[in-house]
Amino acid sequence: MARPVKKSNRPCDDPRLDYKDLETLSKYLTPQGQIHARRRTGYCSKCQRELKQAIKRARHMGLLPFVGS
Amino acid sequence: MNLYEGMFLLDNNVVREDWNEAKGTATGILEKHGASVTTARRWAERSLAYTIKKRNRGTFLLVHFEADPGNIAIIRRDLELNETVMRYLILTAEGVPEGESELHEAELSGDFSVPEPPEDHVVDSDEEEAEEGEGATEEAKAEEAKAEEAPAEEAKAEEAPAEEAKAEEAPAAEESATEEAEAPAEEASESSEEQTEEKSSEEA
Ligand SMILES: [Zn+2]
Repeated sequence: MARPVKKSNRPCDDPRLDYKDLETLSKYLTPQGQIHARRRTGYCSKCQRELKQAIKRARHMGLLPFVGS
Repeated sequence: MNLYEGMFLLDNNVVREDWNEAKGTATGILEKHGASVTTARRWAERSLAYTIKKRNRGTFLLVHFEADPGNIAIIRRDLELNETVMRYLILTAEGVPEGESELHEAELSGDFSVPEPPEDHVVDSDEEEAEEGEGATEEAKAEEAKAEEAPAEEAKAEEAPAEEAKAEEAPAAEESATEEAEAPAEEASESSEEQTEEKSSEEA
């Protein structure tokens, strides 16, 4: 699980963000359903991508709304 | 054989009639193509974040299964064509999470019963379009695109650090690996990055 070490609010080797963990994912969404920007999450780009991917999956499954919907 | 996690959004009308039948629809498709189901259990029944196939609620089935990666494309195709499965997601998995086996077993026991899904208000087709028009475009498209694409194959595309990594994020070394049998939905856009990741996860 070695990941590039980068400054991040989230240890990169934390368990992966799971699309099923809606409680966690919701924390990274604005009330409009947009994903918080990286400067706000403080994630390294890799973790941010992981976040986006998890949210995308959740959206696909109808678990989270799309922006504006 | 690789291990996968599958999530299936099932039509509550079928669930209401018979959970095992609804579940069997999904697992049956997997098995039909040589997959072996390790665990399968009801994950949740809930309202949907947006209308899908005119439904506002659905039941989610969580499955872990082993399959030949070469069969994922055909499994996907069958899933596309199935009416009971309204959405699905197939990801590669590193293992079966703790507790899944117990939940799986519990459903097999005689006294397991599924709470009746609440009534849904069925939406007219016009509304449904709206749903897909918005941000959903990629996903929605993917829905249709599914049939033609063979994402599983492409997923094999070797390492290539996913050029795609999009403007928003630098391509960061792609090693997240764990679960990338990416969903059909993703193909439209950023998928390739994800799919390349999958490769690494499938090497096991
Ligand atoms: Zn990180």
